[in-house]
Amino acid sequence: MAGSSPARPNGNQWASPSSRSVISDILAGDRNSEARHRLLIEAARREHERVREEAERVYQEHLLRQEQERLVEERKKEEERIRAEEQLAAERRKLNALKAKKIEIPPVLPDFEPAKAPSPAPKPASTASPSQPPATQVNGKTLFEKQPELQPASAPAAAKPFGGFGQTLTSAQPATAALKQSTPASAASSQLATSNLLGNNIQVNGTATATTIAKSPTPAPVQQGPDRLAVIHKNLKELRKSMLDQAKANQALKARMGDMRREIRKCVGQLTGGGAGVNRQQNNTIAALLREALENRVQSQLVDPNTFLVESRAPVQGPTNNDPQVPSLFIYLLNVFAKATISQFINEGGPRPETADPVGVCIAAVFSDPAFAWRGASMIDILLAKFRIVCPVLWGYRGSEKTEQGRARIGWWKDNGRWVTEQVHFDRMTGLGAGFAAISLRNFASSKKQNPYPPRHYWAAMAKIVNTPSGEISNTQCVVLKAMIQNYEEKFIHAYGTAALAALRTALVEFPARAPVKSSAVNSLQVVHDLLRKSTGAALG
Amino acid sequence: MADLASRITKPDEAPAAAPEAAPVSAPASEEPKAPENETSIEESQSNLVKNEYEVEIKLSDLQNDTESPLYSVSSFDELGLPEAVNRGLLAINFKKPSKVQEKCLPLMLSDPPRNMIAQSQSGTGKTAAFVLTVLSRIDLSKPHQPQALLLAPSRELARQIQTVVQTIGQFCENLIVEAAIPGAISRETGVRGSVVVGTPGTVMDLVKRRQFDISQLKVLVIDEADNMLDQQGLGDQCVRVKNMLPKTIQILLFSATFPDKVLRFAERFAPNANQMKLKHKELTVKGISQMFMDCPTEKDKYDILCKLYGLMTIGSSVIFVRTRETANEIQKRMEADGHKVSALHGAYEGQSRDVLLDEFRSGRSKVLITTNVLARGIDVSSVSMVINYDIPMKGPGEREPDAETYLHRIGRTGRFGRVGVSISFVHDRRSFEALSQIAQFYGIDLIQLNPNDLDDTERKVQEVIKSSRAQAEYVPSATDSAV
Repeated sequence: MAGSSPARPNGNQWASPSSRSVISDILAGDRNSEARHRLLIEAARREHERVREEAERVYQEHLLRQEQERLVEERKKEEERIRAEEQLAAERRKLNALKAKKIEIPPVLPDFEPAKAPSPAPKPASTASPSQPPATQVNGKTLFEKQPELQPASAPAAAKPFGGFGQTLTSAQPATAALKQSTPASAASSQLATSNLLGNNIQVNGTATATTIAKSPTPAPVQQGPDRLAVIHKNLKELRKSMLDQAKANQALKARMGDMRREIRKCVGQLTGGGAGVNRQQNNTIAALLREALENRVQSQLVDPNTFLVESRAPVQGPTNNDPQVPSLFIYLLNVFAKATISQFINEGGPRPETADPVGVCIAAVFSDPAFAWRGASMIDILLAKFRIVCPVLWGYRGSEKTEQGRARIGWWKDNGRWVTEQVHFDRMTGLGAGFAAISLRNFASSKKQNPYPPRHYWAAMAKIVNTPSGEISNTQCVVLKAMIQNYEEKFIHAYGTAALAALRTALVEFPARAPVKSSAVNSLQVVHDLLRKSTGAALG
Repeated sequence: MADLASRITKPDEAPAAAPEAAPVSAPASEEPKAPENETSIEESQSNLVKNEYEVEIKLSDLQNDTESPLYSVSSFDELGLPEAVNRGLLAINFKKPSKVQEKCLPLMLSDPPRNMIAQSQSGTGKTAAFVLTVLSRIDLSKPHQPQALLLAPSRELARQIQTVVQTIGQFCENLIVEAAIPGAISRETGVRGSVVVGTPGTVMDLVKRRQFDISQLKVLVIDEADNMLDQQGLGDQCVRVKNMLPKTIQILLFSATFPDKVLRFAERFAPNANQMKLKHKELTVKGISQMFMDCPTEKDKYDILCKLYGLMTIGSSVIFVRTRETANEIQKRMEADGHKVSALHGAYEGQSRDVLLDEFRSGRSKVLITTNVLARGIDVSSVSMVINYDIPMKGPGEREPDAETYLHRIGRTGRFGRVGVSISFVHDRRSFEALSQIAQFYGIDLIQLNPNDLDDTERKVQEVIKSSRAQAEYVPSATDSAV
């Protein structure tokens, strides 16, 4: 049947009602009469209708089959999820038990050799324990290296190679590769990725712990806390100050710096949606300014880019920028650009989240440009450092909105010593959530360049939010989650396929369902689901 | 060749068609341990693990400004709105009623219906307030029977209100909202929606042609009421429209400004109305930083205008000018500087105006240059800067400063508690004095900007924005857990 119309029940192609033979048909005297012509047209119409009906029937059948397959698959996924959750519950119980015990352990200097500990579980607890000042001595890197050990063994073997993946900021190549390999969303691979996420979360623990320790007024000052992004943020502030000082002595720099800064801010503000190429002029201008800074004709001081990166980089073969130092003006302008984009997310994306997307495209363009990379990788950490400060919930930080410390942790902004209003805060979070999606859900499939911030970071950020224990769910998280999903469903699904649907269900159905207080922020997540169902017919269950 | 079934184009490809990189089932995993477990600064000393010591935000900090026009304690749930309407509000991120909504809605929704005259600052939710009333009053089982009529002074505003009704009512089944503006209603069928938003002239034509059944109208809303009742043409038209309507109709009048003489007329127009009024010193929105730029000459204004865009983060912006010629000239210059610009003024008619404004609304263009036609009502939430390229004037020979128009113009930014910037250009004694009079009328301190030292101006602008943001316009309530 392939390649042809479906067979007719009987009869030949052009049979007239009297079913005479074709030849006599042709030869008949009335073959050109209008009546005959009509008859033939009528026959043709009927035939056409029959074929169409048949096609529709086949198509309906096809749809039914598809639906059936989908249901089966969904059931499987559901079972898979329940299994995973059971596992998780058991894991958590174990962990809790261990945590309860931990207090008895006297504080010791953390061991730098990972695998030695007889029982791996108590170790993470103690490392993550805030009551352990020695942890401050561990620099970020060592802590990261310890990650594999921290995996509480839900799938230890599988998890091990992904220890670095949790480190959302490194360009952990193996993890990327592994993620790509696991294309078929089979049960096995989903398990694998779950353990991936496990790695992530634990990682966050370590980071989070260290932040506060770094902030704590304990005598031993920490130079490089594991929350490296916060450190970078501070270093960038220093850099800004140093630039102002330099400008006092260096007239050429002073003359150029302010104009460059304003030009970049203007360009970022000019970005609009609406098709490829509309922002070419802005992209070119920004690129030209960055190139100018790299040439350093105004002779700004040189700095070591490692100061502004999560992981130090050694020289590599081949890239454009490989020197141990680059002009400080260049880093400064990247910082200005990062600031301008984030400010744009907050100010424009807050009221209108859809405006974040063109800014995300521009960020991707700048940070994927090999001319502005250093030692073979992008300098996007500069942007992330800022982002981590203004929207910590994306990095797994949590807190109550009713306490001072809680607000500080989730990035509730202060102006002149007073918390900004609720409205302003949620506006900010909306813009930043949309901005994060705009940065992390870029599709580089048809680009020769390397994606500076691939979608796995989006997944990780979402996982960190939706895995919040019910009692700690905050409105801020809901607002960020909503903003990072709305308008990005398609891109997310494009990146992760059916897994994305499952994740969306978790985020839009299960997560709001288990929030203890049904605030309007929580309810608005369910409304995203309603809207999704309305516009695409996709019911997530 | 594939078989026939596969050649039929499917109406909707399954969204999950291409699982390109699909590693995971639901991301159930180990909880990221809450930073709650960490000690925070104060606690680390005592080695406490839990956060009992986290300081609750004091109520007084949060509720110290009950006069804020956006302050409110109740939630939309308490207003007893239809469930579908509530969902519509959530979909557009409305989480809590503003003051005008909280105060007016119970009055407007009560039975028997009473008239209302409400004044509230620009961008504080007046439109949503009357739209909610309309949506609660109409009977959706009669989708083609006109039941509510909303009048606005311009086609742009009418279309905007139509969109708001449709958006908030997006989950209401059978809701048909029609715009009674030139060219929008079919001459064959007439008006066939339960909610009609229009300009007075077109509405009157439709009624006269018997294409608009007004016998069962329950609500009449007049937006920008001072403008609608004051202007000779529109005022007459409004009265004539009203006289045709059922006597029992509920009349709602809304505006940010109600000059005294218009208010007296409004009270006759809507008898026995509940009223919500403001003094004129309360009229300005605190979130809008008001500044002025001292330009050496009229000619310098173009260049200074372009430089403004690097000084701060700007979403969309609106530039008000006096003449079309200036509008066109600025458009040319700004486009050369990389901006995407829409210029909208009296030279455009009907649908081409719609197209230009839609471009701006959708964000395809981010600068709108316009004459006074759009001073009122237009709500584009991402507008963060308004420029009075020329100071608004009124009266014979344009000799008197137009304080109302100034207020409506700068009200295009700072919508719903957001920060916004307004910069007025002065270049000679006359413009400076006009602006001073306006500032005096509203009791505002305008901050002067200097176009010569941009580094300095930039710093100043940032400070001003910061301090106006700190004025805490929208005050949340700690008692209300259902945010």
